[in-house]
Amino acid sequence: MHKIAEVEIQNDILIANKKLAKRNQRLLDKAGVFAIDFLGAVGSGKTTLIEKLIEKMDYSIGVIAGDIISKFDAERVKRYNIPVVGLNTGKECHLDAHLVEHGLEDLPLDKIDLLFIENVGNLICPVDFDLGSHMRIVIISATEGDDTVQKHPLIFKEADLVIINKVDLADAVGADIDKMVEDVSRINPHVKVIKTSLKNDEGIEEIIEAILEAM
Amino acid sequence: MADAIIKTVIDAAEKNNAIEVLEVTIEIGELTLLNPEQIKFILEVLSEDTILEGAKFNIEIIPARIECPCGYNGRITSNDELDHYNPIISCPSCGGGEFKIIDGRECNIKNIKIEKEE
Repeated sequence: MHKIAEVEIQNDILIANKKLAKRNQRLLDKAGVFAIDFLGAVGSGKTTLIEKLIEKMDYSIGVIAGDIISKFDAERVKRYNIPVVGLNTGKECHLDAHLVEHGLEDLPLDKIDLLFIENVGNLICPVDFDLGSHMRIVIISATEGDDTVQKHPLIFKEADLVIINKVDLADAVGADIDKMVEDVSRINPHVKVIKTSLKNDEGIEEIIEAILEAM
Repeated sequence: MADAIIKTVIDAAEKNNAIEVLEVTIEIGELTLLNPEQIKFILEVLSEDTILEGAKFNIEIIPARIECPCGYNGRITSNDELDHYNPIISCPSCGGGEFKIIDGRECNIKNIKIEKEE
């Protein structure tokens, strides 16, 4: 005889991710590492920002570079002779705590003060997945259009610092930077917003200041 | 995400000596950026050639609920002004943006209905 049975599972995948994220953070805290998750769309300037910070910050830095299948970002950072782990998500459009846990295994955490985690270029999927970082920096650019913030409110709600990059190109693409700043402030009233042109080193010192303040 | 769901369900089905999984019920929070229709489709594809093949996937949406320092505790509704599925912009009572999200961020595998030997 066969019978039908109902089995309670109550297993929340996102809570499971959160637990793993907490474990990552405990591991980082134990090693005295401050970790920053960098989120932003493809081409917003995540890797450029990380490169500039490596050049200008006087700390031992490690990098986890997430990409769907390529290692381009990891290769770009490697030339600074610092520990870099390239994480390929395969098909996924975001990093999760489990992948980052593996990334941490491959890093000499005792020799690092600051860990930069570059998420996959995407303003949507990474929102739901805590990685265990201490700070979330969201970087967007004028060239993405000045409605970018309005269209992706959740990622800004969770941000600890928001950077609006490529402001030097705002006029060329008809983007209203003040509107972008206002949109961020409506969604996340206390978050600091920094306008930058990273290519020209504009605003980078202010970003470093904000990171040091958070550390 | 879908892969994690499938693995969890197969694991639970095997532990309970299931011959077949008939139904899987998943709760998805309104504020997650998961698309229930896409999740359902991917689950159906991933369940092929597993004990889950042919199972019915039920998706229940958990409405968003916030707790605001102003004392408001309850649902928030979508703001049509914004071009987004369900943005969280402000507390419907005080208009503030500093609230705690109580419900709406779930991706919970609630239960499964299985067929098993008596």
